[in-house]
Amino acid sequence: MRFLKKRLHFLLLMAVVQYACVDKQNFDQFDDLSVTPTVTSSMVYVETPEAVINDAAGIDFYSQDFNFDAFNEDFFAERVLEGSITYEIENTTSKQIEISINFLDEGSSVLDTEIFIIEAAPTAVLTREIFYGGATGRSLDIIRNTSGIRVFGRNLGDNSSVSTLADPKIVLRSSGSFRLRLK
Amino acid sequence: MNREYFIIFYVLLISSVCRAQNKQLLYDFVEVPQALMLNPGMETGYNWYAGIPGISGIYGQAGTSGLSIDDIFANDGLDINDKVRDRAVFGLGIRDNQSVTSQVEILSGGYRSKRRPEDFYSFGMYGEFDWINYWPRDLAILAYEGNANRIGERFDLSHLKTRGDVLNVFHFGINRKWNRKLTVGVRAKLYSSVLNYTSTNNDGYFLTQQGQNNILSNTLVANMRLRSSGLRALENAADVDASEITSTILGRGLLGGDLGLGMDFGFTYKLNPQTVITGSVLDLGFIYHYTDADNFSLEGRAVNEGVEIILPEALADPNADFWQQLVDEIEALIPFEEDTKSYVTFRPTKVYGSLKYSWGIPSNTGLQDCDCDVSATAAATRNIYRNSVGGQLFMVNRPRGPQAALTAFYDRRFGNFLALRTTYTLDKYSLTNFGLGLSLQAGPVNFYILADNLLAYQNLAAAHTASFQFGLNILSWDTN
Repeated sequence: MRFLKKRLHFLLLMAVVQYACVDKQNFDQFDDLSVTPTVTSSMVYVETPEAVINDAAGIDFYSQDFNFDAFNEDFFAERVLEGSITYEIENTTSKQIEISINFLDEGSSVLDTEIFIIEAAPTAVLTREIFYGGATGRSLDIIRNTSGIRVFGRNLGDNSSVSTLADPKIVLRSSGSFRLRLK
Repeated sequence: MNREYFIIFYVLLISSVCRAQNKQLLYDFVEVPQALMLNPGMETGYNWYAGIPGISGIYGQAGTSGLSIDDIFANDGLDINDKVRDRAVFGLGIRDNQSVTSQVEILSGGYRSKRRPEDFYSFGMYGEFDWINYWPRDLAILAYEGNANRIGERFDLSHLKTRGDVLNVFHFGINRKWNRKLTVGVRAKLYSSVLNYTSTNNDGYFLTQQGQNNILSNTLVANMRLRSSGLRALENAADVDASEITSTILGRGLLGGDLGLGMDFGFTYKLNPQTVITGSVLDLGFIYHYTDADNFSLEGRAVNEGVEIILPEALADPNADFWQQLVDEIEALIPFEEDTKSYVTFRPTKVYGSLKYSWGIPSNTGLQDCDCDVSATAAATRNIYRNSVGGQLFMVNRPRGPQAALTAFYDRRFGNFLALRTTYTLDKYSLTNFGLGLSLQAGPVNFYILADNLLAYQNLAAAHTASFQFGLNILSWDTN
């Protein structure tokens, strides 16, 4: 009994220590963990009524450079893997229209250009998806270095006719969808 | 985030909140003085005790519902990406939580009043770390998959619920044997908070759907708040010198931080000499955070469809910065604000209850149940039964409501030097939680060690919960 008194806690501790074990873990697996969410958002929306097109002095009814910092934010630029930009052009005017989108860098140099020519109404919505990165897409550096967008609109028809459709206008819609590496 | 930080975070994450602070092995384990901290109305047989500073009570508990280290890092040949996706991101629900609780007694003591031997006073100071995090399922999915393939799906921001505390507790308790059947106790607590952060009342959602004008619209409705206290003090100390962190923690822990008050109540009632019911309410209190509050909020509603250029209005200002206008508009609709307003947090209140039946008076001692009066000596009131069996109920108030656990226990005493307790605890997180406790009395020295979820010791990495407690006291069952 005296032996038991003196040694019991030690024996119990030894029993627990011998009993307790941990299966081999492989923490190196963490290096293989890949977290790459795909985020999407609208980018630019441009709406031009036919009256504005008709009132323009020349055939170029709109030309505008504007700041667009979504892509060259560090968080995005350093993590983007690949993605695409989707454009939708809807023309309910009575004239053929050309829309041009230019991606600009800090020095306003053109990095990428996309041109859309859409017939006079009635016509279907023109949809185009441009891919960046990956094996077949355009260079991701275009996206990473884009800090501005130039939107250019040109009237390829006359400047007097008016569409019979209600509220005639040319509309540009766009959205971007990009996969980012968080880990 | 490098691998080491992730693993540390993950171990912390996995290590404990599902049954946080349930000390089923210690509750009403009358041979151990620290059991008074769980029921100030426990029957106390000893005349005095003194904890060995720093090692009289060391407690740690860690747990998680739904995931273990083994689930992710087992060397099983499976792709970790599949395991993380299936078992964590989509495998866990919003009621799954992770928690860590630890307590270290710094000072602990108690003595029986000479003038009123029915009164036993206990006092001390202990440090506590308590952290709980509920799995933010929607936010985890958003971070893991993004929103592109989840058009029309709301990501619920209320899934974010987390809280952490580092504090020091000063306490003084009175335990009184009211009559032959009833023992009651009360303990006053003074909290000195070193650090607190709380983000438990969040609301709102993030939604991507078909836009009205543009292709998509992103809607953010947020009513989110993170309140913290003590973080800036530690950050400032770290900026000065690493050694300043220690002095800042000590200063805030020794009544130089945010202060609060709390109470514990408890009782023990003998239905008959062999049947006892007990109950206690612990940490009925609050802390007023006013010394170093730093709060952040995000509140409002914004719908974003990208940069919008609508002619002819846009022609009015050819130099307009449409991007900056968009950013400014969103920031105005959902301002991210910071303030230093004081705030109050309530302690996670715990409730215990138990029913115990004892039997088996040793035949060779001649002892009988004394049915003692309040004036009886402490030693005479010591539990003389060799066996006890019973059940316990535990509940703790948590950010998503009470968590409960049921425990069945069996106590076995070997003379006056050894007491053993075995428990089986049942809760929503584990159906196989067996625990074992030991209290050894060698002369005036009392040593105890308690550990639960013993089956998990076959592979600790696969455990969803584990806790341990041990300590060393000097105590006397005899005279003052």
